[in-house]
Amino acid sequence: MALAAQIMASGILMGSIFALVALGLTLIFGVMNIVNFAHGEFLMIGMYSVFLISTFLSIEPLVSLPLAAAVGFLLGIISYYLLIRYLLRGPMMAQLFGTFGLMLFLRYLVMFILGPSPRVIQEGVLIGKTVSLSWFTFDMSKLAAAGFSILLFVLVSWMIERTKLGRALRATSIDAEAAGYMGIDTEKMNALAWGIGGATAGIAGGLLANFYYVTPTIGMLFVMIAFATVALGGFGSVRGAFIAGLIVGLIMMVAGQYLSQIKLAFVYLAYFLVVVLRPRGLFGW
Amino acid sequence: MVGKMKAVIGVLRDTFSFNDLSLSERIAFAAFLVFVLFFPWIVHASYPRAVMIRFLLFAMYGLGWNLIGGYGGQVDLGQAKNVGFGAFATALMITWWGVPFWVSVPVGIIVAVAESFAVAYPMFRLRGHYFAIATLCVTLVWQQLFLFWDWTGGARGVELPIKSTPNFTYMQFGAIGYHYFIFALFMAEFLFMNWFRKSKMSYQLQAVRDNEDAAASLGINVTWTKVKAYLITAAMGAVGGSFYVAYHLYIDPRSVMQLDLSILIAMTAMVGGAGSIWGPILGAAILIPLDMYLAALLGGMGFYGIDFMIYALIIMVIAAREPRGIWGIIERARRRGYVLRG
Amino acid sequence: MFLEVKNLHKEFGGVVANAGISFGLEKGEIVGLIGPNGAGKTTLFNCIAGYYKPTSGKVLFKDKDITGWPAHRTSRAGIGRTFQIMRMLERLTVEENVMVGAFCRINDREEARRDAQEILELVNLKEEANAHPTELPIATQKRIELARALAIEPELLTLDEIAAGLNPLETIQIIDTLRRIHKEKNLTLLLTEHVMEFIMRISERIIVMAAGRKIAEGSPEEVAGKEEVIKAYLGERYAKGK
Repeated sequence: MALAAQIMASGILMGSIFALVALGLTLIFGVMNIVNFAHGEFLMIGMYSVFLISTFLSIEPLVSLPLAAAVGFLLGIISYYLLIRYLLRGPMMAQLFGTFGLMLFLRYLVMFILGPSPRVIQEGVLIGKTVSLSWFTFDMSKLAAAGFSILLFVLVSWMIERTKLGRALRATSIDAEAAGYMGIDTEKMNALAWGIGGATAGIAGGLLANFYYVTPTIGMLFVMIAFATVALGGFGSVRGAFIAGLIVGLIMMVAGQYLSQIKLAFVYLAYFLVVVLRPRGLFGW
Repeated sequence: MVGKMKAVIGVLRDTFSFNDLSLSERIAFAAFLVFVLFFPWIVHASYPRAVMIRFLLFAMYGLGWNLIGGYGGQVDLGQAKNVGFGAFATALMITWWGVPFWVSVPVGIIVAVAESFAVAYPMFRLRGHYFAIATLCVTLVWQQLFLFWDWTGGARGVELPIKSTPNFTYMQFGAIGYHYFIFALFMAEFLFMNWFRKSKMSYQLQAVRDNEDAAASLGINVTWTKVKAYLITAAMGAVGGSFYVAYHLYIDPRSVMQLDLSILIAMTAMVGGAGSIWGPILGAAILIPLDMYLAALLGGMGFYGIDFMIYALIIMVIAAREPRGIWGIIERARRRGYVLRG
Repeated sequence: MFLEVKNLHKEFGGVVANAGISFGLEKGEIVGLIGPNGAGKTTLFNCIAGYYKPTSGKVLFKDKDITGWPAHRTSRAGIGRTFQIMRMLERLTVEENVMVGAFCRINDREEARRDAQEILELVNLKEEANAHPTELPIATQKRIELARALAIEPELLTLDEIAAGLNPLETIQIIDTLRRIHKEKNLTLLLTEHVMEFIMRISERIIVMAAGRKIAEGSPEEVAGKEEVIKAYLGERYAKGK
């Protein structure tokens, strides 16, 4: 019983992190209908940013989170202006391959500069510490990551629902042409979506770096989980990404308990079932 | 009876005739064939020979992918599973039962086609990126399963018994033998594609690619057409997988059922020009030597990943500027000439 | 009755696009379907041709119940169509576009090509056979769609706003072409159109739709004078005035 509760709780923790990873992906898709295969690489670069800063400048990893966000944001915007902007004009196949190319480029760029071996953050406020509350024992880093994810979700949701900028973003998601007629600079909205997508991925990476090993190839794993999450929640839905993230986290933890070698297969299977049986996902359009 | 004879002659004619292509294309291809045919006698070093074999293998993979991806327009990122099915079928049948290579090939094909049929109908309810991601997922699920299963060798993989070469039962040879082996397979698939691109199915498949509603209005069962193409591509991938095993004499799920392979196959065809018979060959001709020479050069210096970085740059530029690939660039230049002259 | 639509009803999640539509066509007729925007004309076409499944009601073609048949089946049964928003097969040439249609009934490529060339000749497109549709003007593309639809050897041809975007000269040309193929290929035509000079001139009979319902039927002259029709297009005041 206690074990079950522990598993569920861990699932929800991991789930909120998956939700954060999925958030950027779903935003970009919502605004301009493009699937960012390079999303995992944004996350990976966020991880490396935090790792490098904490290791070489001896700065607390948590404190360098804003930097991971900034790096991610810049990366998103630059990607948009140098590549994505041109892909949007082309056929879907080109968009797919374009973001794929970006994914490969970023992944191997990092591998080229920093080498392929896995790195681990050694020192930090959260590293290696656990917290116990009644039945539950958590890694502090995971707990903090979950906390930050939820915070970020609330922040981004608030921004989208309540601010003028958020409304402009939503308008562009619904009908870019019409939004253009109403004076919204859709190019800037697109770039912003990529910036926010990159930033959230960067932060998620920065949080993950506290308890996950950092390698150039980690992006692929997380992006596939993110796809499953976004599909389940509904492409384009922020709320959906959160709830779906929790569900995927639970699936992973439960499967991990009993069939840990193929727990990922369950996630991929979940994607498949969702898109075939209910393409709109839980909350999507 | 006469009708049947005529049909057979028609098929043979379509397979071997290149009359509908321009003179320059035919000359270039002839030169290419001569080059490949005499290659092992001109070049003796083992590394270039390996590059040539890998080039022919990927050109073959690309030809197969081109059917569903190029003529069909469906971005399939899961071809690695079919390669894996062919490879494992051959590997397991040889190691368990000593079955000759050519008996294992049809088995691999049947497995790939059967699995593809099972997933095809649900998958083709999806379009665009949803479909592409679904193909990724299916391959990943299979890779996970093969890693997990002990009876297929798990993560250790399968090692084939080494026979003294040349061995025609298990298709094991020296470098020259393998060269002609893969060349023969490549030519077989190429000639098949030469027939295919002129067939009724090709026209219908391309119609589905270009506009599904229009295709339906012309009596084409859109889903079934896509499924047929998907199955043929699966079969062709499986054949490639069987060769892979005969050549490398070792497989494991990580090397043969991996996502990167799927992506590479699709990329090669797309960079060269999806939807044309030359595309996969052009793409492989550029990317494979680039990878193998740059990787060798720079990997030796300790720089990992530059080859993929260059690949990635090429892909991004092509995706942004000319989605029809290198062949698309050539065709556009030709059309400009045609329009100006005409 | 060649084509019979009985009480066709089509709803999209609460929005009623077609409500209780019934009408019939005899073989060889040219019937026009008119109505203001939003009347449900294209929805009706899509229900007949198989792109939508009717919520209720029946469609009978040559005495066979084809209600709910998918598009490729109705095409093979003999219903051809052109689309309001053009659906060119962009990577194929004009001739190849038409060949795809020919392949509906033919298996041999050369036969399909000969067939396509005949049809291109019929609609005056022989010269453009090797061009790509997107290189050609809209009026020409419309003829390509027409040629392609003809290649499946339909008995009933449904034309969705084929005259849209054509100038007066092109409109006359297309009326001419349609009349010719109607006679030579023994077709039944069902057209929907906004361009009044076109549809009133070519149709033997007119059906008027508004807000999802059929509101009038008759010869072009009869229908033009009817109060309900004027009201649907121009509003009450003009209807009363007449």
